Amino acid sequence: MIDWLHQPMTFGTFVWMALFAVLLLVIVLGFVTYVIYFERKVIGWIQLRHGPTQVGPFGLLQTPADVLKLLLKEDIIPKLADKPLFILAPVLAFVPSFTVVAVIPFTDAIGFTDTNVALLIYIALSGITILGILLGGWASNNKYSLLGGMRSAAQMISYEIPLLLSVLGVIVMAGTMNLRGIVEYQQQMGVWFVVPQIIGFLIFLIAANAEMNRSPFDLPEAESELVAGYHTEYSGFRFAIFMLTEYVYMFAMSSLIVVLFLGGWLPPLQWVPGLQFLQAVPGIIWFLLKFVAVVFYWLWLRATMPRFKTELLMKFAWKVLLPVSLLNLVATALIKAMV
Amino acid sequence: MSAIPGFMKGLGYTFKQMFEQKSTYDYPDKPLEMPERFRGIQYLDVDKCIVCLQCERICPTQCIDIQGKPNPAGKGKVLESFDINFEICILCDLCTEVCPTEAILMTNNYELSVYSRDELFKDMKWLSENDTKIRRGDA
Repeated sequence: MIDWLHQPMTFGTFVWMALFAVLLLVIVLGFVTYVIYFERKVIGWIQLRHGPTQVGPFGLLQTPADVLKLLLKEDIIPKLADKPLFILAPVLAFVPSFTVVAVIPFTDAIGFTDTNVALLIYIALSGITILGILLGGWASNNKYSLLGGMRSAAQMISYEIPLLLSVLGVIVMAGTMNLRGIVEYQQQMGVWFVVPQIIGFLIFLIAANAEMNRSPFDLPEAESELVAGYHTEYSGFRFAIFMLTEYVYMFAMSSLIVVLFLGGWLPPLQWVPGLQFLQAVPGIIWFLLKFVAVVFYWLWLRATMPRFKTELLMKFAWKVLLPVSLLNLVATALIKAMV
Repeated sequence: MSAIPGFMKGLGYTFKQMFEQKSTYDYPDKPLEMPERFRGIQYLDVDKCIVCLQCERICPTQCIDIQGKPNPAGKGKVLESFDINFEICILCDLCTEVCPTEAILMTNNYELSVYSRDELFKDMKWLSENDTKIRRGDA
């Protein structure tokens, strides 16, 4: 698929790319459905219970049943809500989350784009979601929604800075923002970026968690504290879109972590001589295994930690993550200049 | 920074918890075993009852109705009818405590939902047929 990007576009390649894009949408939606099921199961096991078991074999049809329920609900728009903005907000939140999946290379042959500013596109587009969330909070004409929207916007904007700075260490070492180039650099180096850039990896993990509004940074949608934050007034299909946004971001962020820090489609332990046979396994399998590990980490963390308070959250971003990521960047640059 | 060891310990604990035995029951797919002392609906052994009327007297909600008749074969009285109005029985076990002959005992049966309130009026025939899982411990 990558070869098509370096040739002039023909009608055939256009049709194929469109079909693959639809296939990716189906895969992402399937992922969202089953990550919700998997999340409920994992959190259940950690809490000494079973999770969904009744609907379908092993409870597998639970999420489709929930989605069907959401789709069949009445579409309520509050009378005093700002109607055009109310309708626009979920769309504005969801569209960037699916768009950024286009820049992620899944293997060395499968990928939809091959640009030299892939990382920049990712971070820039994910900022549009913040606007959608803020809009949803304002347009609902509800003080809880407004508070939730404001908190969410503040949190997401504050954590975008350490997010980007921690990745700059990787970019300085690899010399390119092209995600494919970053994975190839890791192949050349022999180790994945998680080893030399361990601080950057940890900061990115924390900041990505805050970007996705997930526990323990989920005060904007705190179910027991703010009613439901910015999606209080949304019901039925619009709420499904907000939920979809959060889980598609989980897909996109996890893929980005795998590509940037965990070596993308590369097999592990290549610096140990004698494990070359691992290269026989197709790259997509390694990508999937690492991806599943990262997703499991988000679910594990959700069941383990309580929620952060808003001021603690903000203090943590500005006073701890930002200086540490700056130090990481400076140290990386110094070491690269000296070596 | 000092929170990091605590954080890792927390993660380790929740990870191990995933493999522990679950504390939920699979009722109603699997039956729920009650302890022996559990008080369910009563069982009546008609031959042992001497119609002393102590259970009727002590019942706090007055749900027991007894009719006796003189014993056709010998001394004393035998039961003609014995009704428990299960709508108001509170399963307090006082009737079994005072019974001198252990004619009335509790069982462990708690699955007693019926579709009509008429069936909640338990008569002598039903109570003497209810002879599974009788609680004989220290009644």
